[in-house]
Amino acid sequence: MTDRLAGLFFLLLATGYVWLSAGYTAGFGDPLGPAIFPRVIGIPAILLGLTLMIWPQHSADWAGSAGLIRQATAIALLLGYALLLEPLGFVPTSFAAILGLGLLMGAPPVGGFLTAALAAPGLYILFDRLMGLPLPLLGTWFG
Amino acid sequence: MDILSQLWGGFAVAALPINLALIVAGCFAGTLIGALPGLGPVNGVAILIPLTFAFGLDATSSMILLSAVYYGCMYGGRISAILLNIPGDEPAIMTTLDGYPMAKKGQAADALAISGVASFIGATLATIGLTLFAPLLAKAAIYFGPADYFALYVMAFATIGGITGTDPRKTLLAALLGLMLGTVGLDPSTGVARYTFGSFNLYDGFDPIVALVGLFAISEILFFLEEKAHGGGLVPPGRVFPRLTRVKEGLGASLRGSIIGFIAGILPGAGASLGAVMSYSFEKRLSDKGTFGTGDPRGVAAPEAGNNAASGGALIPMLTLGVPGSGTTAVMLAMLISLNIQPGPLLFERSPDLVWGLVAALYLANFVLLILNLPLIGLFTRVLGMPAWILMPLVVAISYLGVYAITHAAFDLLVMVGFGILGFVLRKLDFSLVPVVLGLLLGMDMENNLRRALSISGGDFMVLFQSPIAIGLYAVTAAFLCFSLWLTRRSKEPEMPVSED
Repeated sequence: MTDRLAGLFFLLLATGYVWLSAGYTAGFGDPLGPAIFPRVIGIPAILLGLTLMIWPQHSADWAGSAGLIRQATAIALLLGYALLLEPLGFVPTSFAAILGLGLLMGAPPVGGFLTAALAAPGLYILFDRLMGLPLPLLGTWFG
Repeated sequence: MDILSQLWGGFAVAALPINLALIVAGCFAGTLIGALPGLGPVNGVAILIPLTFAFGLDATSSMILLSAVYYGCMYGGRISAILLNIPGDEPAIMTTLDGYPMAKKGQAADALAISGVASFIGATLATIGLTLFAPLLAKAAIYFGPADYFALYVMAFATIGGITGTDPRKTLLAALLGLMLGTVGLDPSTGVARYTFGSFNLYDGFDPIVALVGLFAISEILFFLEEKAHGGGLVPPGRVFPRLTRVKEGLGASLRGSIIGFIAGILPGAGASLGAVMSYSFEKRLSDKGTFGTGDPRGVAAPEAGNNAASGGALIPMLTLGVPGSGTTAVMLAMLISLNIQPGPLLFERSPDLVWGLVAALYLANFVLLILNLPLIGLFTRVLGMPAWILMPLVVAISYLGVYAITHAAFDLLVMVGFGILGFVLRKLDFSLVPVVLGLLLGMDMENNLRRALSISGGDFMVLFQSPIAIGLYAVTAAFLCFSLWLTRRSKEPEMPVSED
């Protein structure tokens, strides 16, 4: 079943990809132009996606609902970490991300808290102060 | 003699204090990364790359560091395989079969010593093979024209992952997806913005390093959240000192495993995991008298020699042709390309310091690893108790700070997470990630070679099928695809996991 969905996904993606390539033109004497290579790779992808849809071989087993909730929460945490790193600074966002991910992975609350409380400033000191990688200490909201 | 004098020059490079320090640090980090379940060579090397950039290491030093880590991972993976029955990384799966039973019989010290020596033999023989064969292949590759390179890339994409039993259509689709992602950004020849959807952030395309960290490190986190690790519990090492007689029992198997692993490593699409699997099954067929699977020393030695030898072999196509044979070497290729060094036959002429410095460093790394993995093994067994809820969040934080340090853009962090989700979904659907990475990395070069070939012929596509080298490569590709299709037909259930090492 998942193979059929994957096939459909690739079919739609590659069709859109090839369709968009029609808009890419260059006026001067390049023998290939910017549109041909996308077609060279897009058309086989359309055909392969089609065969995968018609003759599937494999069906994935997804995690149970608890696992899916953990994964969705982790994705939300990761996106939040990415979006808030600059506004809030490295230490507070890393603290929250390490604590949150640790708890998701089954950390005991005290252990997870201690890990995050040590690791977030520890990584900052190690990489920014000792090794000279510039990381935002105070985010733009506080700066 | 030519090779010897060049190798001597390489040792002069590798013996620089900074490089020696990187060898030791890389070996230590590699053994640790290999030993910790959940971190393997690909994601270990992927999270280290942004850091090597940020510290401004030159190409030679970065390659030395990453290769030491790569070799170290192959040594380290066995530690948790033997003591915990959890492979520390994917190539060590075969080591659990006889390693853990040995440990349960109180022979953990023997098993660790046998596998340590086997790793050393495998890695050293592979490094010797690399020294001898890489220059030969590089010489042959000089005769490749643009059309031949195009054919070579087609072969690389079609064959990678091809013999692991995954559906070859999926391998091709994964490669095509990588190629499609690689065309995002400004077209280098005409300056046309392709697939950027008006976003200036995408004009430079996807940074392969950012994509790699997402695909390998972030997707691993999502994977971890669904599986519960189930091992057999830490076995106390038992007697402290290994017995020399037991170590000797594994020597023959180590030699045979090294040769098989080395060949497996050179083949495109076969990484260290396949090297380990092939060495183990060969040894089992050759010398099993019902003892394999119950703690036979040869069953520990063969796969360990095999996976170490394969990792050395995998460096050959990456350095000489610019076409990596495994996930980890693909990641290293990404780093070289980002440093404006194009691997391939000319690398040996233009940057002999890099090539020979790296080779010499690998010899030194092997001795460092032997010391780390025999007398100092106790250091690493202690780390195994570290729970995943400490390790994995730290991996995330280090990925973020590494990527942020090279790009200074929150947008790239989002791209990284996006690639992480993509990598997770693709792996769930039984697509290998290595072809995606290869497509993303090699797409631009593939397009350029196609352009060059066509401008020589004045736009006639037949030029692609005229040179004998190209025709030969297409024939090999076609044979390979038929063989792997036949293989998947024969065994509907894939026996081997999708190889990413």
